[in-house]
Parts: sequence; C-alpha cells; structure tokens
Amino acid sequence: MRPLEGIRILDFTHVLAGPFCTRLLADMGADVVKVNSAKRAAANNAPSSPYYAIWNRNKRALALDMSHDRANDVARSLANQADVVIDNFSLGVLDRWGIGYEEVSASNDQVIYVQMSGMGGGGPWSDFVTYAPTIHALAGLTYMTGVPDGGPIGLGFSYNDHQAGLHGAVAILSAIEARRQTGKGQQVDLAQFEVGTAMIGVSLLDYFVNGREAHPCGNRVPYDKFAPHGCFLCRPDGDDILEERWLAIVCRDEGEWNALCSVMGDPEWCRADSFSTAELRCENAEALDRYVNEWTSEMDANELMYTLQEAGVPAGVVQTGIDLAETDPQLKSHEFIRFMDEPHPGLGETFADRLPIYFEKTPCDTYKRSRMLGEDNVSVLADWLGMSEEEVRTGEEAGYLT
Amino acid sequence: MPTRGKALQQTRIVDLSDDKSIYGVKLLADMGADVVRPEPQSGDPLRERGPFDEESGDSLWYAFFTSSRRHFKVDENSSASLYELNALLGCADLCFLGKENPLSDKVNAEAARARNPKLVVVDVSPFGSTGPWRDFKAPDLVASALGGSSGVTGDDYTPPLKLFGELNFTISGAYAASAALAGLYHAQETGEGQSIEVPVHECIASSLEHVFMWYYYQEHFPNARAQALERRGSLHWTNLYVVMPTKNGAMMVTPTPNIEAQLAWLVEEGAFQDLLDPKYEEPKNRRHYFQRLMEVIREWVAAEDTEELFFKAQERHAPYGWVQTVAQVAKNPQLEARSWWQTTEIGARKVQGPGVPFQFLGTPGYVAAPEFLDGDAASVLDAVGWED
Repeated sequence: MRPLEGIRILDFTHVLAGPFCTRLLADMGADVVKVNSAKRAAANNAPSSPYYAIWNRNKRALALDMSHDRANDVARSLANQADVVIDNFSLGVLDRWGIGYEEVSASNDQVIYVQMSGMGGGGPWSDFVTYAPTIHALAGLTYMTGVPDGGPIGLGFSYNDHQAGLHGAVAILSAIEARRQTGKGQQVDLAQFEVGTAMIGVSLLDYFVNGREAHPCGNRVPYDKFAPHGCFLCRPDGDDILEERWLAIVCRDEGEWNALCSVMGDPEWCRADSFSTAELRCENAEALDRYVNEWTSEMDANELMYTLQEAGVPAGVVQTGIDLAETDPQLKSHEFIRFMDEPHPGLGETFADRLPIYFEKTPCDTYKRSRMLGEDNVSVLADWLGMSEEEVRTGEEAGYLT
Repeated sequence: MPTRGKALQQTRIVDLSDDKSIYGVKLLADMGADVVRPEPQSGDPLRERGPFDEESGDSLWYAFFTSSRRHFKVDENSSASLYELNALLGCADLCFLGKENPLSDKVNAEAARARNPKLVVVDVSPFGSTGPWRDFKAPDLVASALGGSSGVTGDDYTPPLKLFGELNFTISGAYAASAALAGLYHAQETGEGQSIEVPVHECIASSLEHVFMWYYYQEHFPNARAQALERRGSLHWTNLYVVMPTKNGAMMVTPTPNIEAQLAWLVEEGAFQDLLDPKYEEPKNRRHYFQRLMEVIREWVAAEDTEELFFKAQERHAPYGWVQTVAQVAKNPQLEARSWWQTTEIGARKVQGPGVPFQFLGTPGYVAAPEFLDGDAASVLDAVGWED
C-alpha cells in the first residue's frame, strides 16, 4: 500500500510545473486522472513526446473534447468525485468550461481546488504569461546566478517548474489535512512567481533589514566565511567542454581547511598569513583559488573526491547527465534509474528516475508508463462515475470523449 | 501557542532538521503547524549563518528559515533535559532529523515510535543511510555538483556554477515536507507511523528537467550532439529561450508559444529583416529559421528599453521575462498588490519580509515571529503544552 492511496485527483495540468506536482502525488499512490484532448496533445503535451512521458507516469489518461457540452458535463461529474482539482492554465480557463471553483465547490464542498498560474489571481500582472525562464528572470534567480561583472546567466534548466510542482504537492497535502479538521475543502492560489521569489528570501530580508543588495558571486557564498568554495578544473578527459572534469571543494571551518592542507601535502603557501583565518581566506579567495586550481589541474577528479572525502573535506565531482545515468555508484546502489512496467506504444522502453522518498511501511516502487490519449477512458469513467464500457464507447463515437 | 485557523494547526512537529530540510519545516510551520525547534546549550549552529542584522547581530538566514516556530534550549549533558526532549516525540505527529543538527542523535526515534505508533520520522541526509557515498559530506555546492544541477549551469567562460543561495536544499526541503505530509496522511488513515528517508542527492537528480531526457531520448532531438548538454549560459535546451541584452538591461526572450505572433510583431516593428523569405517555409530550413529568428530578435531587442519591451511583450501574451535585481523584486507591484509581503520581527524591529508561497483562501498561512521558551526542562515541556 502506498501512502496516498484513496486520494482522487482530477488533473488539468500541462507542460512541467503542474505535471511534476501530480507525478509526485501519483508516485505516492494517489489516483491521478490526467485530462487531455486531441486538440491540446501537441509538442510537449503530446503523449508520444519524451517530455510528456517523463512527467506523466503513474497517472491514468482521460481525453475530453471540452468544446462539447457533454464533455463539460463529464468533467463536472468527475470534479464532484474528486478530492483535488488542479490546473496550471491561465486563470479563467476552467471557469469557461463550467468547472471553476464556484461551480465545483457548490456541489462538492470537500474539493481542494488548486490553481498554479504564473502570477496568481488578482494584481496588475495576473494575466501575464510565464514559463520557468520567465519566472527565473522576474524573481531575481537569473540575475543572481552568474559571475561578478559577467552578465546574467541564470539556471541551466527549468528549476522553478520543479519547485512550483513540489510546493503544489505540499499545498495539496496541507489542504487535505486542513479538511480533516474543518470538514471543508478550499481554493488554493499558487503563484509560481511567489514560489520563485521565496527562493531568494534571505537576500530579500537582507535588503529590507540592512538595505544591502546581493549580487552574483559565482561559486562563492555571499554571506558566510567559507573558502575555498568553488569548482576546480582537474585533469580533463579531452578538450571538449563535456570532457572537462571539475571538482567542487568546500571548506567551512578550520578543521576542513586543515584537512585540505594536509591532503595537499602542507605546501608552504597554505601557512601564509593571508590564508591564516577564514576571513582572510575569503578576502584572498582569488589567490587561494589559483593555488588550489594549480594543485587539482593534474589530478583525477574522481580519485581526488574520494581522497578528500576520506580526509573530511567536502568534495564532489561535477556530474553530467551521462555520469548520473551511467557511472554514479550511489544512484546505482539505490537503483535510482528504473524502467517502466511495460513498453510505451510510441517510445518503446521508457525510464523512470525513482521517487527520492523511501517510506519504511508504504514503499513507492510502482512505475507505470505514461498513457496515450484517452487510453484509460473506460477504467476511469467506470471507477469514478460508474459508466459502462458501452456508454464510454458511445461517447467516443459522439466525439466528446476522444 | 496561538491558534489561527491555519491548515496544519493541529499538527505537532519536533524540528531537528539541518540546512537540508529546514525549508520544508518552514513551509509546514508557516501553514500553522505547531513546531518546536530545540537547540543545544551552545546555541543552534545555523544561527551563525549570514547575513546578519547590522543592529541586533541576529542571523537573517536563521530568521527566514526558522519562522513560525518555538525555540528552546536542551542541555545535552542533562539526562532530565534529554528525557524531556525524547518525551516530546511521544506526543508529536512528525519529527524531522538532519545529520548536522547537533541534537539529531540525542533522540531515540525507534523508542519514541514504540510509545507513539503514529509518529512519522523524516530523516533527510545528503545520500541516505546506504550506498558508497552515505558518509560523504555535501554542503550545497558539493550537492549541486554531484546531483547534476551545476553541470548544466554556467557558461563556456565560467566554471560550472552553483545555483544561487540555497536552491538545492530548498528542493530537498520541499520533498521532505511532501514526504512528511504523505506519511501523516497515511498515519491519520491507518494509525500507522513510519520512518522516511529523503536523500538530497536523489532529490536534486530528479529535478533537472531535460537532463535525463537528453540522455535517454537523444534521437528525438535533432540538435543533440551528445547525451549531455554543455554549459550554455541562459540558452534553454530547446534553443528558444535566452537572456538578451537590451538598451538598458537584460530580458529573457522567447518567441514561444506563438512563433507566428512573434514574427508578426517583428513585422509591425519593421525589424523582420529576411525572416519572410519563402525559403524558411521549406521543412529542411525550419531549424535554420528558428536560429535566424533568434538572431533577428537579439538585434531588435538590443535597441529596446527593457521596461517598455517587457510590458509590450506581455500585452501580446509573449512570455518575456524582465531580468530583475533583488531591489527590483522587493518593489514588484504584483507582490505588493497580492499583499505577499509580511511583517516579521528581527531583533526588536518589525520589518517587511517574504510571505508564504501559496495562498489558501480558507485557512491562510502567515509567517509568524519566533517564540523563545526559557526555563528548566520540566518548565519548557510544560510551556510546550503537548499531551498524549
């Protein structure tokens, strides 16, 4: 038994933030019904795309053509049976389909209705259109991730989509707990922009309290006296940027610094006055990094990582996707990469990165492939609405089920 | 403990987290959970994390991450004090453990679960309790390197970059909060508590968007030259989102989701150059067209005023993103209009600070000031007020 078995989620989400939220809940056993349509099933929302396959595992697929009144009726009936209705459309789309919060809660006062829009309801920017890179820019994450005087670089992937999805899951489960106390569901307005902004909360507090503004600082930390604190080039595997080998090394206190010096063979420069305290090492970080880099440049990154960790110095190889998938011994030992229960009709064998949560009593080891458009029409409508297969097939012929 | 009609007001949490899950406990505390955070006599080491309030010397890092909790000291050398600490677990719903929290190994979670079978214990560590790296130290930069987020962040002229701030540990924190609430749900339904492990390494690796897709489905991406992408600055894996310099700032620009509308806009502006050339309509030239489109947009954007361009784009439903500094975020009109900021207490001052990242319309959360409980072990336990 998985921990969330029994929870029913009607899922109108698309692309990444919403689907990542419902994937997490589905991995933990919730019955997630992903609603799609032939019209919307394009690009990353097409069940045949790898992107869709990754973020929609463990869910069931229902296809409704919402331009039909009968499809709206089915959606309303499903919403009446749902513990959770969730979407990440721009605000107002579900209202137009007759399944807005007011309509649904009037007949299902237990429903938790989550809208994960970019900017949230209300406010001058509420209609703005956003994707994760938009949010990164607006929330300060793009500006802050970079090197001094180097221009904004930002995050190399859609970080905030994952973070918004995780926050969505926390919000849903909190609202379910609240419902246990109050007997009522409620509406949750999750603005992805506010999630992104919370990620620079400490720097915002520093701005409000001290009037100090944080600026990009590469791999150094802006507020603490940690040095060295960086990625250091080691012996390369080739000339290509993908064949570079970098090792992250961090010293947070005297113990870790002394251990690093010892592994380096206690060279004379280690004992220079300019590196004698954490404050001085930070002040002279550029020179310190040069010395460390000189030392690492001829070393094998992986071997050096083990040597440093053995000595108590935090160190880690900068891993690529190839490393994570092929050689990372920790991920291998946890069987982090799995394959889905059966081949995908369009993609063949598909992989699953396992849920990074290990429940002692309710293990979550089920990985069912993502489903094609309407593949579960019969089972979903039978389980949730008691419809017969014949009724479903009639709906498919009429075109409101696709 | 104030009761505020908040979502988690009947959930009791003992917070022995370290920096890897402290954000997750914050999420639950700000939603009203009754959270106590014991600390050793010498003080919580996380109070040493900067930045600090220049007036009071208090850690702002700590103020942000440990909001809405009750704090008290535990004497690690006193059996009475440790007994009382362990007694709290007997009447808690959730307990968070972190390897670097100095009190984490002072509690006997197994014994507590024997007394309190519904207790859910969430242990967040860099790599979990098994595997060859289980004893590795992994502060944020090292976690970011090994987990894969640094490998795709940065540019060809920079080293791989750490994500700013605590972005890796807020991921593991949010996973930990989800895990705790799922465990709590199961415990409420069945009466069965359990222990839960959350390895940070796997949390990061599971939140890398395209990275595993690129490895496993390379043949689906015509621009892939290897099973991993190089560091490429702000350029998204689709090649269709990138930060471009403007006349007076920087803008995250994308022609998606409506590329025809972007082209029409360039035509309106007289900035379309050769983009209407029929050759681009031929399927064999589509890739080249997208590349050329981004070049033309870059030239056009370079002469535009950032603020004007941003609002013009959003009026047209184009998801451009104005690259904002911390000060600009602090003055954002959308956050202001949604009353997102909340008043918090730092030292003796009331100041504005970040609010709760989701708005519950029935049981709204808020960021409460910390409370400090003084006294000996028995009086603190009494003040906490938990009963079986």
